[in-house]
Amino acid sequence: MKRAILSCNGLDKAEGSVAREVAIRAADATGSEIICPVLLNRAMARYKKALTDSSLIVVDGCSTRCATKLATRLEAKVARKVLVSDAAKASGQALESTLSLGPKGLALAQSIVDDLVRNLNAPMLAVEPVADFETPTEYLVVTHDKFEFRIPVVDYVFNENDVWARALDGVARVGISDYMQQKLTDISYFDPPKVDAAVEQFGELGSLESAKAVFEIIAPVAGIVTAVNPAVVDNPGLINEDPYGAGWLVEMKLTEWPQDQELLLDPAAYAEIVKRKAAEE
Amino acid sequence: MGVPRDQIPWFPTIDYDKCNFCMECDTFCPHRVFERRDGDRKLVVANPTNCVVFCRACSKTCGPDAISFPSKPETIARIKQIREGAAVK
Repeated sequence: MKRAILSCNGLDKAEGSVAREVAIRAADATGSEIICPVLLNRAMARYKKALTDSSLIVVDGCSTRCATKLATRLEAKVARKVLVSDAAKASGQALESTLSLGPKGLALAQSIVDDLVRNLNAPMLAVEPVADFETPTEYLVVTHDKFEFRIPVVDYVFNENDVWARALDGVARVGISDYMQQKLTDISYFDPPKVDAAVEQFGELGSLESAKAVFEIIAPVAGIVTAVNPAVVDNPGLINEDPYGAGWLVEMKLTEWPQDQELLLDPAAYAEIVKRKAAEE
Repeated sequence: MGVPRDQIPWFPTIDYDKCNFCMECDTFCPHRVFERRDGDRKLVVANPTNCVVFCRACSKTCGPDAISFPSKPETIARIKQIREGAAVK
């Protein structure tokens, strides 16, 4: 599939200037077409073919994520995303405050493009899942207004951040709860953690995005990421369809399972949390 | 967490030098952590204990990067310390 780049135009912020530079350099490096977000808003037909035939590289400058919101509105297929403000933080270098890019901004732009090209060329998912879990059949149901939130009655444990873990033979499968998938509505993008990454309990396991929000996946357990669900990377909608089964996100080799459980909730306790959260909304 | 919520110091802090009062965070947060006010500070963290421990979702909506949270490892250590009944300074 061809690629096209939808980027923040970046006229009033240093992060935006970097985003624009990233888009230009990434287009050169990957042979992608650039989609101008302003013209896209004004005359969508101009990019109809690019949006139909291509998967997008979306480049946002800051957390306002204008480019992401545009892509979501158009229901475009997104191959990769870049957030310049996060990349700047990760690099440990503060950006210049001027809108014209200086040496630091240009170097950051190039390093983002280098990472992007490397990731596009590397297979994202090198490791196959090892655990063999069956989809649960029996659920607790929390009802709020017209909504019903299901919680499996056995085998699953939860953190208060709406992420579940199911452990078997030293490996845990991790995903989000039915309540959270309904709250996010249609999930359009899964930014997975790196396979082999060591993650602490309550550390980050990547993120999910929908038109409503970015959801940071907070690890219920400590461990090493051993697999990412390839089906969900290809089709994040699986999380909405089957959050406790086919929509699982990652597998982790457990490193501190006995201690992890002290801070986790059983299904009944999690049901109380869901009741409280639903009532607050 | 097995610890009274008001003993866990996890909630957002607004950097008023950066905040542009776009209210994206308040619009997003379903737990009424923020409140809108009149005057210079049009948004405040009014209900910090409503914040879900380890959730940082509001900061992900913040274009000017004006919202910060405490360190997760330090917060986990504190929770475990309280659970074990140790004296907390």
